[in-house]
Amino acid sequence: MTEDVLAPLSGNVWKITVEVGETIEEDDEVLIIEALKMETPIYAPCDGKVKEIHVKEGDTVEEDQPLLSIE
Amino acid sequence: MYGRTRNLENNDVKPYFENMQRFGKELKDGRRRRASASMEKLKQGETHIERQKKNIEGAGFSTEQMNKRGVMTVWQRLDYLIDPGTWRPLHSLYNPLNNKTGATNVVDGLAKISGRWAVVIGFDNKVMAGAWLPGQSENILRVTNLSRRLNVPLIWLVNCSGAKLDEQEKFYADRRGAGAPFFRHAELNQLGIPVLAGIYGTNPAGGGYHGISPTILLAHKDANIAVGGVGIVSGMSPKGGFDAEMLEELVEKTREFSAKPPGRVETHYYETGFFSEIYEEETGVLDGIKQYMEAIPAYKPHFFQVAEPAEPAYPQDDLYYLLPFNQKEVYSFDDVLARLVDAGEHMEFRPEYGPEVYTGLCRIDGQLIGCIGNRSGYLGKDYPEYADYPGMGGKLYRQGLIKMNEFVTHCGRDRIPIVWFQDTSGIDVGDLAEKAELLGLGQALIYSIQQTELPMILVVLRKGTAAAHYLMGGPTANRHNAFTLGTAATEIAVMHGETAAVAMYSRRAVKEKAAGGSLDAIADKMNTLAEQYQTHSNPGYCARHGLVDEIVELSGLRNYLVAFAGAAYQNPQSICPRHQLILPRIIKG
Repeated sequence: MTEDVLAPLSGNVWKITVEVGETIEEDDEVLIIEALKMETPIYAPCDGKVKEIHVKEGDTVEEDQPLLSIE
Repeated sequence: MYGRTRNLENNDVKPYFENMQRFGKELKDGRRRRASASMEKLKQGETHIERQKKNIEGAGFSTEQMNKRGVMTVWQRLDYLIDPGTWRPLHSLYNPLNNKTGATNVVDGLAKISGRWAVVIGFDNKVMAGAWLPGQSENILRVTNLSRRLNVPLIWLVNCSGAKLDEQEKFYADRRGAGAPFFRHAELNQLGIPVLAGIYGTNPAGGGYHGISPTILLAHKDANIAVGGVGIVSGMSPKGGFDAEMLEELVEKTREFSAKPPGRVETHYYETGFFSEIYEEETGVLDGIKQYMEAIPAYKPHFFQVAEPAEPAYPQDDLYYLLPFNQKEVYSFDDVLARLVDAGEHMEFRPEYGPEVYTGLCRIDGQLIGCIGNRSGYLGKDYPEYADYPGMGGKLYRQGLIKMNEFVTHCGRDRIPIVWFQDTSGIDVGDLAEKAELLGLGQALIYSIQQTELPMILVVLRKGTAAAHYLMGGPTANRHNAFTLGTAATEIAVMHGETAAVAMYSRRAVKEKAAGGSLDAIADKMNTLAEQYQTHSNPGYCARHGLVDEIVELSGLRNYLVAFAGAAYQNPQSICPRHQLILPRIIKG
């Protein structure tokens, strides 16, 4: 089963803190979005392996846009 | 001993406070890994502050030199006097007028003596024999205020040679000058708060009033207190100048008076009776203070504890990984708070309302405390409800301000002391914010605080900015704020330096552009201003200038909360019976 991690807010991808293939746990930080002058860490909603990262650092993302997939 | 377990079983608030809700999450390895650089920066900041404190402690004569003269240093006296492990220093770096020694020449803090909390202050007798220095009277004002706010005894270790005469113009006179502490001592006595003084050495003039103004005077055999000391008495007839012949006479008189300074024990114990006790040994004076402390009324902690004291559920060292040094990084305030309060348990007040602010009841050492703090992070696209832009924690919006007003008011009614935690970038601004009444709600919070007559403290975790720093229990809450603590990440300023540069230079840039001029010079000025803000808002600056009363290590923060809770409940000026508390019932619904 694959779960997409969606952007909870619009902003810029400031840092991606995981790599494809990395095993992660629920609540692990996967990415940081810079918006409203703050850096907001995005956390994994479940345990799993990072299957795909859909964005790169510096990208502008909209709210609800898929950031990465966990399987 | 009290039958504590039996009493707590009979405690009518047991259902509320013995099993409060657990909150906060365990620190994960991934977070620990990713936050290691931030942790290093926090530790470096703490080491830097600690080094400055050590330098100040070492100022003046060495301990060996003092002991060789037959006297203990102020630090040795404190060490002997205070219950082990209870010293919570304040104002260690306070030096608003930039004295060379790095301090105002008094050492102060909260501590337990004979099992009771007290505010303790002593002159640093290693430096100019404990002279008055610039900034000292302001330091003492903070200390006497602290005693008043917490309603706990003030303990003085008096050993003061009087004013540093070549700088007297900076502190001798004025409304808050060096004479103000004596009125403050009188005020404390008026309020029924005892001031105990252990008196050592020569204390002329101002030093004499430090000696005479407390409630009980306990003197060492070699101590003296006097309206004027040797220096004045031997040269009190100005003749319009000096020459060698006059100096010969002065030398003679000084020798005579030094051998027998005015205000000695034989006068103020045997003649005037000012000294209640005299002691052969220096430690005898301190033993005397301990005995008098035992005679001062104080509730045992048990009286106000609503549950057994408990350590936080998670290690306090986790704080170094949870509070990011980077001011822009979002974090979980709840995770931070869970490391500071008993058992990581709380009762949150209105969790669904005003999400940018945490308000809740927690326990510190088994005693009930109201906690208020800024929550960090994105608040969702529909919040604030009055605006078409999204909200970000750290900023205050309508609901958060209303919630804090409510919570503070209920705490006032229930007599629950408050700990504020700030990490705030300010209050929301703009037309919509004005229509949402934020200006009025902010001032309403100030009114609510003023109404409570509760002791409060503030911890500036990271940012204390704009009017939000005033509203959220800051030092500006002068009659309530007992003390303010900072961390290695603290930054206090009206706004961020870059924001200030924009505010100050944007119009000038427009004019320059219109005139066809270069913008480089303005950009340079903006960069200089931003850098200046950084220098003038960092933890060291905040501590030196009294914007905080102490910078504390994150791992030691809870110790200060314990001291505050213990002191606030030691002799409260009013009480709400626990079965009549309304706030827990409101939370329960």
